[in-house]
Amino acid sequence: MNYLAQNLEGLRTRYPALVQTTQENSGGLLTVVPSREGSPSATHEGRWVHSGYDPRKEAQAWAEAQLLEWKAGELGVVFGVGLLYHVEALIALKPQGAMLAVVVPHVAEFNDAASIRPMEAWINKVEWVWGTPVAMAEQLATQSAPLRFMTYGPAACLHAEVHRDLEVEVRRIAATKQGGRLHVAVVGPIYGGSLPIARHAVAALESLGHRVSWLDQSPHRASYDLFASGREPRHRLMMQSRFTDLLSLSVVTNLAEDPPDLVLALAQAPLNLAVLEHLRKKKFLTAMWFVENYRHLTYWQQLAGGYDHWFVIQQASCVDALTRAGARHVHYLPMAADPALHRPLGLTEAEQAEYGADVSFVGAGYANRRTVLPGWLSSDWSFKLWGNEWDGADDLASVLQRGGARIDTETCIKVFNATAVNLNLHSCAGDGLDPEADFVNPRTFELAACGAFQLVDERSLFPDLFAPKEMVRFNATADVPSLIRTWLADSSGRREIAAAGRRRVLAQHTYTHRMSELLAVIGMREPDRIGAMVRGDRNAGILGQRTDAPPELAALLRRFPPGQRVELKDVAAQIKANGAGRELAREELLILMLDSYRAETRDLV
Amino acid sequence: MPRALVIQLARLGDLVQSMLAITQLRVRHPETQLDLLCPSHLAEVGRLLPGIEKVLEWDGAAWQRRAMAAQQDLRAEHLAEVETVLMALAPDWYDYAYVLNQHRRALVAGSLLAREVKGPLLHGPLGEALTPWAAYVRDVAQRRLGQRVHLADAFCGLCGVSPPGHIIPLDPPAVRLPDDLEPIGKHGDRWIALIVGAGETERCVPTEVWRRWITSFLASTPQGRVVLVGTERERAAEIQSPLPPSALGRIWDTTGRTSLLQLAAILVRCHRVVGSDTGPLHLAAALGRPVIGWYFARARVHETGPYGVDHVVWQAEEMRGDAWPVDETVAAICEQGYRAPIGWTVWTSHCDTWGAYYAPVGQAAIAPREREALWHELEPALS
Repeated sequence: MNYLAQNLEGLRTRYPALVQTTQENSGGLLTVVPSREGSPSATHEGRWVHSGYDPRKEAQAWAEAQLLEWKAGELGVVFGVGLLYHVEALIALKPQGAMLAVVVPHVAEFNDAASIRPMEAWINKVEWVWGTPVAMAEQLATQSAPLRFMTYGPAACLHAEVHRDLEVEVRRIAATKQGGRLHVAVVGPIYGGSLPIARHAVAALESLGHRVSWLDQSPHRASYDLFASGREPRHRLMMQSRFTDLLSLSVVTNLAEDPPDLVLALAQAPLNLAVLEHLRKKKFLTAMWFVENYRHLTYWQQLAGGYDHWFVIQQASCVDALTRAGARHVHYLPMAADPALHRPLGLTEAEQAEYGADVSFVGAGYANRRTVLPGWLSSDWSFKLWGNEWDGADDLASVLQRGGARIDTETCIKVFNATAVNLNLHSCAGDGLDPEADFVNPRTFELAACGAFQLVDERSLFPDLFAPKEMVRFNATADVPSLIRTWLADSSGRREIAAAGRRRVLAQHTYTHRMSELLAVIGMREPDRIGAMVRGDRNAGILGQRTDAPPELAALLRRFPPGQRVELKDVAAQIKANGAGRELAREELLILMLDSYRAETRDLV
Repeated sequence: MPRALVIQLARLGDLVQSMLAITQLRVRHPETQLDLLCPSHLAEVGRLLPGIEKVLEWDGAAWQRRAMAAQQDLRAEHLAEVETVLMALAPDWYDYAYVLNQHRRALVAGSLLAREVKGPLLHGPLGEALTPWAAYVRDVAQRRLGQRVHLADAFCGLCGVSPPGHIIPLDPPAVRLPDDLEPIGKHGDRWIALIVGAGETERCVPTEVWRRWITSFLASTPQGRVVLVGTERERAAEIQSPLPPSALGRIWDTTGRTSLLQLAAILVRCHRVVGSDTGPLHLAAALGRPVIGWYFARARVHETGPYGVDHVVWQAEEMRGDAWPVDETVAAICEQGYRAPIGWTVWTSHCDTWGAYYAPVGQAAIAPREREALWHELEPALS
C-alpha cells in the first residue's frame, strides 16, 4: 500500500511547499526490502539504512540512547531520515516539553519514507526542516529552544556533507548571537609556540565579554630549564615530568579555588591524563586547542580521551587519528591573527632601514628551510633572515640578522611591515616543501593581518581560508625566485593583494572569530551547559522572565542586572549579603540549602 | 501536643553525644514530642536514642545531586523538587528545632522545618552572633583548652537544659549477628574490640602498630580474643596477614560486614573497646563499655573524650616517631597499671553534677571548678 497521499495530507497546512516538492519528486533514493520480522526496511547502494532483522527494535534502542542526554525544553534535531523508524520511536519516548525537528536533506528520501510507512499519527509532532543548508540553519536558528543534535548514523551518512554544512552554518549563527558570559580558565604551556597563541585566546575571550582566568605557566620556565640541567637524559626527563605533574596539580588548585565553566588548554599545557580524568569526574568541562602538527608532536595519543573537546588545525586524517585514540569530540579550528597586535605599522626611516628588505623570512631553522632558502638568495634583491636555530647554516650566515637571536612579536611585526615580499615556508622534516601540506601556520594569518605581502607554500586547506586574489601561493621551490622578481616589480599589485588578505583576516580569521567558533561548537554539544550560558539563557533577565519562575525566585533575580549571568552560587551570595538579621523567605532558605551542597561538589584538591 | 525536632547532621560520635541533650529535653518538656533529624546512614543509631519518637532521615547524597543539577541552571523546578522532598520528610512544621551543629546547612534545615530555632546562632541562619554556649564551644575548640565542659554537656547547654549529672546508658540493640559472629563474647576471657580505622587518614594508627598491639595482647592474655571492627577490610587484612600462628582462631574479623546496629551489638559483647576512631568509641561508651582511646593528630581528650566514667585516653602531646602506647595499653587491660610512653599522657574520665570530665590518671577525681562557674555564667537560669 502507498501511504504517500495520506501522510502528506497531514502536512499540507503547515508545510505546503514541502508537500508539493515531495509530490513532484518520484523518490527512489532508498531500496525498500522486507526485514526478517516483516516490516519494511531499506538499503542504499547495498548498505542497510535500518536493521534487516527488526527495524523497530533497532530504532527503539537508538531512541533510548538519545534520551540519556536529551532534556526537556531542548529542540532535538535529528540527522538521518531513512524510513523514519527512529523518529517515530523518539516521539514515543521524548521527554515532556521536549520538541523534535528532523532535517530532510533530500526530498526523494522523504518521499520513500512517506510512501512506505503510515505516519499520520505522529507526522505533525515533528518540525520538518528542509531546503539548502543555509535555509535549514536559519530555520533552526529561529527556534528559541536550545538545539540538541542527534545523529542516526546509518541514514545520516547518506548526506554527511549537507549535515556538516548545516552544522557549520548553525554554529556561525550561534556565534553571532552569543550574549552570555562564561568563566573560562585558559591553561597555557610553559614555553613554546603555543604560548603566544594562548595569550591571544585569552585576549579574544575577554573581548567577547567572558571572564577569563589565565593560568599562565610561563613563569615556571626557569625552573623547568633548571630541572633539565642534569647530565643524564633519563634524570632530566624524570625531573621535568615530575615538575609537569606538579604544575598540573597547581592548575587543579587554581580551578578548585575559582571553578570555571570551561577549562581551555593550549597545546603543551601541563595537564596530565590523571588530572584530566579527575576533572571530568568533578564535572569540569575541558577543551584542548592543539595548535600543532599532529604528525610532529604525538603526545595527543596519551591525552586523547582526557579532554571533552579537541580542536585541531588539521582536518580529516588528524580528526580520524584523534578519534581512534579515544577523543570524543574533535573539531577543525584553524589558526588566526590578533588584529590588535598584528596590524599595519607606520615605521620611521630608521626602523624601515633596520627591519626592511626586498625579501625577508622570519622563522626557526627547520631542516627544509635550511635546504630551500639558500636557493632564494639573489643579487637582484636584498634578503634578511630573522629567527633562531640557524646554527651551522653557513650559506645563510650573510643574511642572518642579530646573530640568529630569537626575536619578539613586535620585531616580527615590524619586519612584516617593512618588507616588500615576505616569504612564508611551512616547516617540515624533509628537505623541500611539506609533502602533507594540511595545516596553515599562524604566520600566514599574522602576515595577512599586518597587511603585508607574502609568498606562501600551497596548503590543502587554503581554499576554505583565502582566495587566490588574497594570497599568492607557490607549489614548487623553483617557482619562488621568479615570483619574487614579478612581485617586487609590482608594488601596487602587492598592496592590493595584501589589503584583500587583511580584509579576509579581519572578517573571518581573528582569534575572536576562533573563540566564538570554539564556544559555539561546545555550546552545540552541550546545549544545556555551555550552550545555555553562551546564548545568555542564564542571564538574570531571561531567567526572571521564564514562565515557570515563581514570584519569589523572580524577585530574587530582579536584584541582579538583567544582563548578568546568574547561577545558584550568585543568588546564594546575594541572599547572604542581604539576609543577615532579617527573616528569610522560604525560597531563600531553599537556595541556601542547595548552595551549601554546591560548595562541596567542586572539592577538587 | 507541641513538637520539637533535634537536628544533628554531623558524624556518628556527635549523634551519640547528642543523647544527653535529648534525654534532658525529654525531662524538661515531657509534654513535647521529640523527633530527630540525622544523616540517613546514621538513622538506625538515631532510633536507639531514648526519648526520640521519630527519626527523619537526611539524605545528603541526594541533596548533593540536586545541588549539582541546580548549580548552573537554576530553575523553579529545582526549588519545587526540594520543597517536595521537605514536605515528604516533615509534612507539618515543628514548633521548635534544636540545632546542635554550627554548620549553616543544619541551621537552614531548622529554619525550613520549624517555626522557632534554638541553636548556635542568635539571629537566624545568616546571623553572625553566636549564642553563649556556641561561642564557648568554638572558643575551646580554637584555643584547645583543657578542663572544658564536655561536648555532650555543651549540647545540653545549647538546648537550654542542664546535664543529667549521671550516666545514661544506651540500651543495646536487639539485632541478630551473622551466625559466624554469634560466638563473639560468649566464651573465653577478655574480648577486646579493636577499631582498625578512622574517619580521617591522619587519625589512623599504622597497621603494623596494631599488629604489634595484637601480638602483645594475645601473648599477655592466653584466653584473650581480639575482634576487629570497622569498615576498612583492607586495613584489617593488612593487620592480620603476618600475625604469628599463636593468633590463629583468636582474631575475629568483622570489618566491612556489619551494620551500625550489629557493630553496636558486637561492642556490647566485648570487655573493652580500643581504637582511635572517636565515632565507634563514643558508641561503645554510650553502650556502657569501657573504652581505651588513642588520641593524636587533631583529636583532643577534652573535646571528644568518650562520655562516662573510667574510660581511659592516651593523649599524644608530642608525637615522637614510633612511640605508640602499645605495651602500656595492654598492661592497663591486664590491670598492671597505667603508664605513658614519652610524648603521651594518660587521662581517665569522671562524672559529676556538671557532667563528664577527664583528669590525669592517678589523680583524685576533683571536679574542675571552672566548669561549675561556666555553667553559672552561660546559663544562669539552669544553675
